[in-house]
Amino acid sequence: MAIVLEIFFVSLSRSDLPGHSGGRDRDLTSASAQHFISKVKNVMLSARFCWRNASRSCQVYRKSHSISQQLNAIVHNGRPDPGKSADASGFLSGKTVAVKDNIVTKDLPTTAASKILTDYIPPFDATVVKLLQQHGAIISAKTNLDEFGMGSHSQHSHAGAVLSPFSKNGVPLSPGGSSGGSAVSVATGQCWAALGTDTGGSVRLPAAYTGIVGFKPSYGLLSRWGVIQYANSLDTVGILARSVADTKHLYGCINAYDQQDPTSLSATVRERLGRKGADAKRLRIGVPLEYNIDELSPVVRATYLRTLNALQNAGHTLQPVSLPTTQPALSAYYVLAPAEASSNLAKYDGIRYGYRTPGSDASAKNNLPLYASTRGEGFGEEVQRRILLGAYTLSSEAIDNYFIQAQKVRRLVQRDFDSVFAQQHPLLERQAEIPSDEGGVDVLLTPTAPTLPPTIKEVKQQSPVESYMNDVFTVPASLAGLPAISVPVRIIGREGDGLEETDVHDVGMQLIGQFGDDELVLQAAEVVVQ
Amino acid sequence: MHSSTLRTAPIHLTRTLQHPSFTTARSLRPCIVAKWLQSRRLTTASPRTQEVIPLRKHLKDEAKRKKAEVKRDGNVLSTKQTSDSRLDKWELTVGIEIHAELNTACKLFSSAPAEVSVGDDGGSANSRVAAFDAALPGTQPQFQIATLLPALRAAIALECEVQRKSGWDRKHYFHWDQPNGYQITQYYRPFAKDGSLTLGAFDGVPAEDLNGAESITIGIKQIQMEQDTAKTMNVGSSTYHVDLNRAGMPLIEVITLPHIHSPQTAAAVVRKIQAVLKGVDACVTGMELGGLRADVNVSVRQRGTSGTGSSYSGVSGLGQRTEIKNLSSFKAVEDAIVAERDRQISVLEAGGVIEGETRGWTLGATETTRLRGKEGEVDYRYMPDADLPPLVIGSDLVKHLKTTMPMLPDAVEQDLEEWHGLSRKDAKTLNEQDNGDRVEFFERTASFLLAEVGTFKSEVSTGKERRKTGKLVGNWVLHELGGLLATHQRSWDDVRVTADELKDILVCLHKNQITARAAKQILAELVQRQPAPKGPYWPSMDTRPSVEQLIDAGNLRLRPLSEHEYEKLAKQIMDASPEMVKAVREKGQKGKVMWFVGQMVRQGEEGTVEPEKAKVVIERLMDG
Repeated sequence: MAIVLEIFFVSLSRSDLPGHSGGRDRDLTSASAQHFISKVKNVMLSARFCWRNASRSCQVYRKSHSISQQLNAIVHNGRPDPGKSADASGFLSGKTVAVKDNIVTKDLPTTAASKILTDYIPPFDATVVKLLQQHGAIISAKTNLDEFGMGSHSQHSHAGAVLSPFSKNGVPLSPGGSSGGSAVSVATGQCWAALGTDTGGSVRLPAAYTGIVGFKPSYGLLSRWGVIQYANSLDTVGILARSVADTKHLYGCINAYDQQDPTSLSATVRERLGRKGADAKRLRIGVPLEYNIDELSPVVRATYLRTLNALQNAGHTLQPVSLPTTQPALSAYYVLAPAEASSNLAKYDGIRYGYRTPGSDASAKNNLPLYASTRGEGFGEEVQRRILLGAYTLSSEAIDNYFIQAQKVRRLVQRDFDSVFAQQHPLLERQAEIPSDEGGVDVLLTPTAPTLPPTIKEVKQQSPVESYMNDVFTVPASLAGLPAISVPVRIIGREGDGLEETDVHDVGMQLIGQFGDDELVLQAAEVVVQ
Repeated sequence: MHSSTLRTAPIHLTRTLQHPSFTTARSLRPCIVAKWLQSRRLTTASPRTQEVIPLRKHLKDEAKRKKAEVKRDGNVLSTKQTSDSRLDKWELTVGIEIHAELNTACKLFSSAPAEVSVGDDGGSANSRVAAFDAALPGTQPQFQIATLLPALRAAIALECEVQRKSGWDRKHYFHWDQPNGYQITQYYRPFAKDGSLTLGAFDGVPAEDLNGAESITIGIKQIQMEQDTAKTMNVGSSTYHVDLNRAGMPLIEVITLPHIHSPQTAAAVVRKIQAVLKGVDACVTGMELGGLRADVNVSVRQRGTSGTGSSYSGVSGLGQRTEIKNLSSFKAVEDAIVAERDRQISVLEAGGVIEGETRGWTLGATETTRLRGKEGEVDYRYMPDADLPPLVIGSDLVKHLKTTMPMLPDAVEQDLEEWHGLSRKDAKTLNEQDNGDRVEFFERTASFLLAEVGTFKSEVSTGKERRKTGKLVGNWVLHELGGLLATHQRSWDDVRVTADELKDILVCLHKNQITARAAKQILAELVQRQPAPKGPYWPSMDTRPSVEQLIDAGNLRLRPLSEHEYEKLAKQIMDASPEMVKAVREKGQKGKVMWFVGQMVRQGEEGTVEPEKAKVVIERLMDG
């Protein structure tokens, strides 16, 4: 564990704090940044762009039920009861929505893909589930995920790994995670849309890997009452759908204040959010220099540059921006999320519900601490790894070096974003050094992931740290609680050289907006898709 | 079967309630979680007796222990002497943490109703449990703002600075009384800081501690709000039943500075904090009923040295401390500190070193026992609770509460002493009994009585009259009425006599219309009668007689004897007891005069002999 952290954690020095950043740290990246800027400019100047209608390929994969079972996207099928879901006038009337299995449902078992919640049937519905039903939606299924949402490829599930409908050399690709089951259900047409949860990219990444739309709204907009906590300061309910329009439609139905969720934004705060009459006709689009990393694969880079170019041609402005804490953000995330996980998962002791080890669990004979057997048997490997990591970073000897430092990085990440957006953060006090309107941008455009999805074989060969790297583009928006959406952009022409027919043919592009600017992010997403 | 709050029992935990013969004894309230728990066979029935037994047992044990102490009085004396000489060399320092259950209608983070106080039916186990209290996945805490009010009253009463912004931390440890695996507390950002508590001799502070001063002041480091744990009951050797009714109940933890230097003062501090908390209605149940628990931190240092150089919250130069957890009576606090002090001194005098460790104390024990050492300490991994926004308390709320605060016990007692003329000791006894009901009864009786018998000639005479009637009423409420209740083994709730009735009795007594003996007889009669029916109608006279009626019925009205009749009665008795007369006249045993007075009251017709007059007559006859 110590090794993981050493490799991983970029420790902070005074020079990283505002007012001290300047020379040294920026110089390190300036060469690559210059290179990146020139490339962006080249593309901007390059010839006209051929817009191919990026029709969704999902229809192709709308296969039989048995195939979706092979993909293992679903852990429990819903019991569609036409008599019950009667409200034909509802906004979602008759529409099937799959729900990630870490969102509790009264009528269906909820396991979070963990052995520790074997056969658990909650006595209440999550608020988002209630809202779906109130609007006439049918909960069609509970979908598979990485246990408790901990993973980027939906491979760590007690119900078995989720497989993408796409493949390379006959090996299935990673569906992305942790909301892989929801993404595959949507991509294969098993449902109209699905709910996922996004803690560090768990909705956006699987959306990008399966060629669909994945939206993580601002933290505090969608109720978390009934959402099984992983890292509760980051957990956000998200939406997976085949189009931005469907996403918007579903979002409008579940975006409401909930007094049962103490982090739900109140009606008065909601009124202050966003801007009145947000307009995506002339967007100022920020292009973060730090996202041009070496690991960015050629096909993703090419699609990204083409997208930027097209946007500029459509009349939008591009603006290079700097988010210097992008790399430390990933390290901070993998300190904070496990720390919160170790706390949130302390309740699973086998006493009140779920799995319990046969025999005694508090035996002095075995010289084991209380609940060691139940928790050792009930949690999967990755969950145990993160609980241990979190327990360590919160321990009295380590908290100052890890948890406290990571909190500081988190604040820097938020400041980074605030310094590039034209829109003021609605929850922060007005500051003097806020850039003028001309200086700021409306949204940021980045790739959702550095590469196309790896095969599940490649995933297996990755070390935990390598698989954590996958989240480098999605984690910063999570740390800052910002709205972010991944939309599929079709790979065209020579960009897709070497891609098999069965491979995925979309690259996920991520749009990030200022806190509360969710409407604009959705509008911008429509622009990018067009 | 006993209830346990200790977290240390190394037992085999078997799943609660898998016992096949288990059935719920009471029907559950219509609470979704209770139903759900029940459907999973996760409920326990907890008959009330379980909760009562420990207290009775406790009192019995106490009595036994006291008897034993008296028996080996000689031994006690000798050990006292040796320990006294050791105490000249070693100085004790104590800091206390007191956990008290707040008087609220609901839990701290859920709207589940708070535990019903003793006397009421506590309801069945696991019937007052919200989803969050059972730590169901996907549930979140919802701070109940109403719980803040009693907490703030406590903070104001203990003269703390209420913090505008405080926060919630999670304190992690695994135990079956802790469903979430952590307790939500305010350890790092408490809502109240830097208070103080002033105690005097009347609070039980020994003279050595006062050191000539009228009072001492103990610093309060902080007060924090936190969740209580579930109740667990040991069933057989390897089964525990868990009752979540108490889980999540709001507690305050009051942490004193290590300003205490004797076991007696430590007990006095706990007693006084309890009295203050009750006085301002912050808490309902006292220590004896499990509403209050204390942990004490004990260290010793050689006088004039700075110990091992340890320090706590700005108090430095202390010896290494140990913590004794879960003390649930004042006596336990005092005895545990005595035992731990003596143990530490013995270790140090033998050249040993005190380990920083957690120790336990059981009632009646002579030594504390080691629970766990530093290496066994739990790393609580405190972290902020991200679900809960910071607690912001407006100064206007604090101001409002300050102006509407009930009188503090000290002020009430001072009032009783100065205004009503009671002794401080009586004032304290009166105030500490029956949740203030008895003081209220006293004040009403006293004001009624003064209104009827007062002459109100001048301010000075009114004051004198008020203190005189106050003393009279105080005596009757405390001793006469108290004695009658004790005889009948009844509680104050069932006192039956009204302030009006007692006033009527005392008016007659004051006006010399009845003798004290007759007054007592009437009071005893009223205590035994059924209370007047409550209702909008005046109670009919035949259900409960008035004081006047009782006086008439018993022919108790004082018919004063003439001087001659007094002498006749006195002589009659003196003639019958020449030995006694001799004792007074020749041996000068003046006390025997009162024996004659008693005989006169007894032999005279009911309601005719006034003791004061009888005494004068006897004395005159003896001299003559």
